[in-house]
Amino acid sequence: MRGISFTNQFTLVIASVTMVVLAAAACERREETVEEAAPPETVYSWIDEIVVLQETDTSSAIARLAAGDFDMYAGGVSSPDILEEIQAQGLAFEESFGQSAELTFNPSGPEFEGTGELNPFSEPRIREAMNLLVDRDYIAEEIYGGLAKPRYHPISGAFPDYARVAGEARALEMEYAYDPQRAEEIITEQMERLGAERKDGVWRYEDEPVELIFVIRTEDERREVGDYVANRLEDIGFKVDRLYRTADEASALWIGSHPSEGRFHLYTGGWIATLVNRDQAAAFDFYYTPRSLPQPLYQAYEPSPEFDAHSQRLAQREYSTLAERNELFAEALRLALQDSARVWLVDQVVATPRQPSVSVAADLGGGVSGARLWALTLQKDGGGEFRLGTPGILTEPWNPLDGSNWVYDQMIIRATSDEGTKRDPFTGLPWPQRIESAEVTVQDGLPVTRTHDWVTLEFAERIEVPEDAWAGWDPVAQEFTTVGEEHPEGMTARRRSIVTYPEDFFEIMWHDGSQISTADIVLGIILTFDRAKEESTLFDAAQLPGYESFIRNFRGIRITSENPLTIEYYADNYFLDAEANVSTFFPTYAHGAGAWHQLALGIRAEINEQLAFSADKADRLEVEWASYVSGPSLKILAEELEQAQAENYLPYEPVLAEYVDDNEVAERWENLAAWYERMNHLWVGIGPFKLTGVRPVEGTVVLERFEHFPDPFEKWERFDEPAIAQVDIHGPSSVVPGEEAVFEIEVSYDGRPYDADDIDTVQYLVFDATGALQYITGAEHTGDGIYRAILDAELTNELQTGATRIEAVVVPLIVSIPTFESREFVVIP
Amino acid sequence: MHTHHVTEQPAPPSSSDSTSPTGKGDSSARVVRYILGRLFAIAATVAVAAYIAVLIANMGGYVDEIRYAQIQERIVMRVGADEELMELPSERRAELVEAMVDRETTRRGLDQPFMIRSFRYLGNALTLNLGRSHDMTSDSGSRLVRLIILERLAPTLLLFATAELGLFGIAIFVALYLSRRYGSKLDRLFVALAPTSAAPSWFYGIFLILIFAALLGWLPFGGMVAAPAPANPLLYALSVMRHLLLPVAAIIISALFLAVYSWRTFFLIYSSEDYVELAKAKGLTSAAIERRYVLRPTLPTIITSFMLSIIGLWTGAIVLERVFNWPGIGTVTVEAINLYDTPVILGTVIVYAYLLGITVFVLDFVYALVDPRIKVGLGRNRS
Repeated sequence: MRGISFTNQFTLVIASVTMVVLAAAACERREETVEEAAPPETVYSWIDEIVVLQETDTSSAIARLAAGDFDMYAGGVSSPDILEEIQAQGLAFEESFGQSAELTFNPSGPEFEGTGELNPFSEPRIREAMNLLVDRDYIAEEIYGGLAKPRYHPISGAFPDYARVAGEARALEMEYAYDPQRAEEIITEQMERLGAERKDGVWRYEDEPVELIFVIRTEDERREVGDYVANRLEDIGFKVDRLYRTADEASALWIGSHPSEGRFHLYTGGWIATLVNRDQAAAFDFYYTPRSLPQPLYQAYEPSPEFDAHSQRLAQREYSTLAERNELFAEALRLALQDSARVWLVDQVVATPRQPSVSVAADLGGGVSGARLWALTLQKDGGGEFRLGTPGILTEPWNPLDGSNWVYDQMIIRATSDEGTKRDPFTGLPWPQRIESAEVTVQDGLPVTRTHDWVTLEFAERIEVPEDAWAGWDPVAQEFTTVGEEHPEGMTARRRSIVTYPEDFFEIMWHDGSQISTADIVLGIILTFDRAKEESTLFDAAQLPGYESFIRNFRGIRITSENPLTIEYYADNYFLDAEANVSTFFPTYAHGAGAWHQLALGIRAEINEQLAFSADKADRLEVEWASYVSGPSLKILAEELEQAQAENYLPYEPVLAEYVDDNEVAERWENLAAWYERMNHLWVGIGPFKLTGVRPVEGTVVLERFEHFPDPFEKWERFDEPAIAQVDIHGPSSVVPGEEAVFEIEVSYDGRPYDADDIDTVQYLVFDATGALQYITGAEHTGDGIYRAILDAELTNELQTGATRIEAVVVPLIVSIPTFESREFVVIP
Repeated sequence: MHTHHVTEQPAPPSSSDSTSPTGKGDSSARVVRYILGRLFAIAATVAVAAYIAVLIANMGGYVDEIRYAQIQERIVMRVGADEELMELPSERRAELVEAMVDRETTRRGLDQPFMIRSFRYLGNALTLNLGRSHDMTSDSGSRLVRLIILERLAPTLLLFATAELGLFGIAIFVALYLSRRYGSKLDRLFVALAPTSAAPSWFYGIFLILIFAALLGWLPFGGMVAAPAPANPLLYALSVMRHLLLPVAAIIISALFLAVYSWRTFFLIYSSEDYVELAKAKGLTSAAIERRYVLRPTLPTIITSFMLSIIGLWTGAIVLERVFNWPGIGTVTVEAINLYDTPVILGTVIVYAYLLGITVFVLDFVYALVDPRIKVGLGRNRS
């Protein structure tokens, strides 16, 4: 007994000491916070070295950030509790909006063939009513703790397509806003029509209670969302069998089973976008029609003929103007809500936590880890070493062609790479990085528009592909075939892009000291063809899907000048933005930058069946998946390096010999051998940071600033923060029918009027006392950041007496997130 | 209970078989026979355990179902996020997705019946070939299960060997010390703290991190070495030692008090034996008494309890490694289970099985070394 009591005392002592220490530390931290309240102005400086460390646990990562061990944690935070901790610790964070949550319904029925049970969600009206049954505001505010925004549509509220139809989308959101009574009425009516009856508050079908199998994901807030929705369904008389499942367990039910088996009724689905997507028109076809995917669930979709036609037209770009597309789009949004094979719930806000002294660009879709500009904009107070925590590192082998595609590996890889153009993190539009200028020509009647002046846009009735343009590849002869050879009758394209590179382009250096050459670019073109050709020694079946989407639209490519380098590209596909129609050629592949001599090692090893670039081929050959940074691959690549240097090897010599200088081949091998000797790896990048340290087991990577990177770092500084518009509405609090009422919409950013040149549209919507949309139109620009909404006498005359609402929708050009602001007024008799 | 030993004391023989009733040749043959027998028994146990693991890891076909669905979901998600594939006409895209699913299914061998695969897994496991993983890669990027495990085995063994040796040394020393000071304040303190061993090592780890890394900033939060890692091997080793401090401390704290409590009790029991009293009466020094008459006969019991505690600690390793971000085999195991990567799961099971088998095998000989009553191959104790 004495021992136990002593233990208790000791435990108390320990607990007290811990509490005291924690409290002292908290006080200390609070003092620090107070001190930080008035810091000297932060002087951002560029980073010399990035040390990347793996930390799999988010809570530990936040503690390490708070203790100053990390400058930033790349892992996204979507938990409100952790966000609270981030804020309590005085840390800052970047926001992104690429994740979403929805309810996926099983549309099979009305009876499941497997069980004979009733599936209420086979009835579109019941699915549609589910929109009214769930309170998205509650889900966003209470379950996600504000880290989410209500979502009603299959397109993200943060991407440009939503902004293009913001007014119509907003009106639909009002129509489908939370209204549980109406939901119950509709569901009751439809359930009775299906032959069910409600006894003692419980829906019964053929004397059995209607039990819904609800597959609820457990890893994130979808668990609470699932419980919330299940409660709502139970409230209106359904029995709900809640199956809490992890991702893989759930997949066996929702996508692995046949819908007619009846193994699930609904599922808490989720989707991720890793970048701002400027054209989401294919979303309707993808999410709601049986055309998009072969899985049984998708095959069970039965969209209405009207919805089906709209979806197809949007997916296949069967429209000739942007206005026509917007009309189709707005209608498709309405039809999607009527179909509701999925009920969209929220766009999640994902936070990337960082020190307040850090400045970095974050993509609105993919966050910091997805931003193409993160390494080019990274700064911190004092500069020097930057410590970056990531949930995963070197998750899979790194090779430029088919290496690791994991978000956090790609984030680091991007810091070592460069591109012809860089995607704007706030709009998704490309900006020139390694190209000087571009000319785009598209066929007459295509709905292409231009936003920036670095590209020219022209329309032509007919675009001929020149005879000498490359049209294909002969893997046996190892030569390009030309348009003239393959299409003697001539060929046309719907789009032509001509890209001119800067005069000093060939002064750009690879990290091993080699200068870039046209051969680096041409190798990329060859590999696109060669790896997908069955006769090739490099054939890889895993390339076929990507190759098919490329070759379907590819019409020709031609290098018209090497000084300055000028490349023409012809294709049949096009994009809505002229900027996106620019096809740049730069030796950065899907998974990293690759110099011709660096890739040549992997090519030799794959031909010898010692390594393979893709996981798929590596498994088939039962060899290692090529890694240029570590592991058994390195030894094989190093042996190839030795031999290649001895042979003065040039891959695809019949073609590439034309594009290398006399001494280039020998110099490259010498540089690479020296690099390997120094760095002990073969990852030769071309970006702002070079890879200098790889410790795979210890989970650390070190990047150092590349001293020969050609750009001043200030080049992309303007992308450190998205200029999301702030909107205020001023105007009368009451309106008399038949009298004109004027409201002033004030648009600003950071306390200053929003530049009118950066604004796309300012619209306003008027909802009457019943919540129905009465009016939608554009506001008139009257001064610096000021727009006027005029409700003329005719309109006010039509308004019902009571509380009325005017809502402004501001769509900027420089950031894809529109801003909504509303003001209520009373219509008095 | 051990009074019958008295007649063989006070000069316990050394571990060599001076008491062996047979000649040297017979003795060697006996030892060889014994070793082979034990090895065969352990190998058979490992084989049975491995096949049971194969069957369990497949969960009666449920895992195949999950993995097939997993392939489909990943491809659907990938296609949904791929702007190029979304450009394709929907029908063509659907065909390509089907082909992609087929290719992945074949790659993972899911097109073959499970029974065929199960024997291949077993063969790979027993020959320690271990085969290729389905999804995971080793830290350095290899798909070979052998490398996935081997790369992580060294850090795990480093951590646990350090901790166990530290624990063993400290616990023996303290237990002996306390057995001489039975009832002292320090003794009572250790007795009182014995129940704290109910909490696992990772629990103490969290507190240690909180105090020594987050608050005081004296020691790192986790990981195996500083980042960037020192290039100088000596500095590297020092950095690893610094990173070892907290996890090792967590393991020792979590097990020390109970180990000291129980071992000190053994010592107390043995030190009150008649032969110890006799030795005292003969005027032997207390150090000699402790070494010859207390420690020696207690060791088999202590080693057994120590080995059992090691086996128990493996189970805590998974969480501990995660808490300390230690790149060990525990985290690989969790990842493999989460991914349903059967070859890796089986690889880790088989490595554990072999480690356990080897431990048992070694233990047999350790017993023989430390306990004069045990002789290999005679089928009975000679006490």
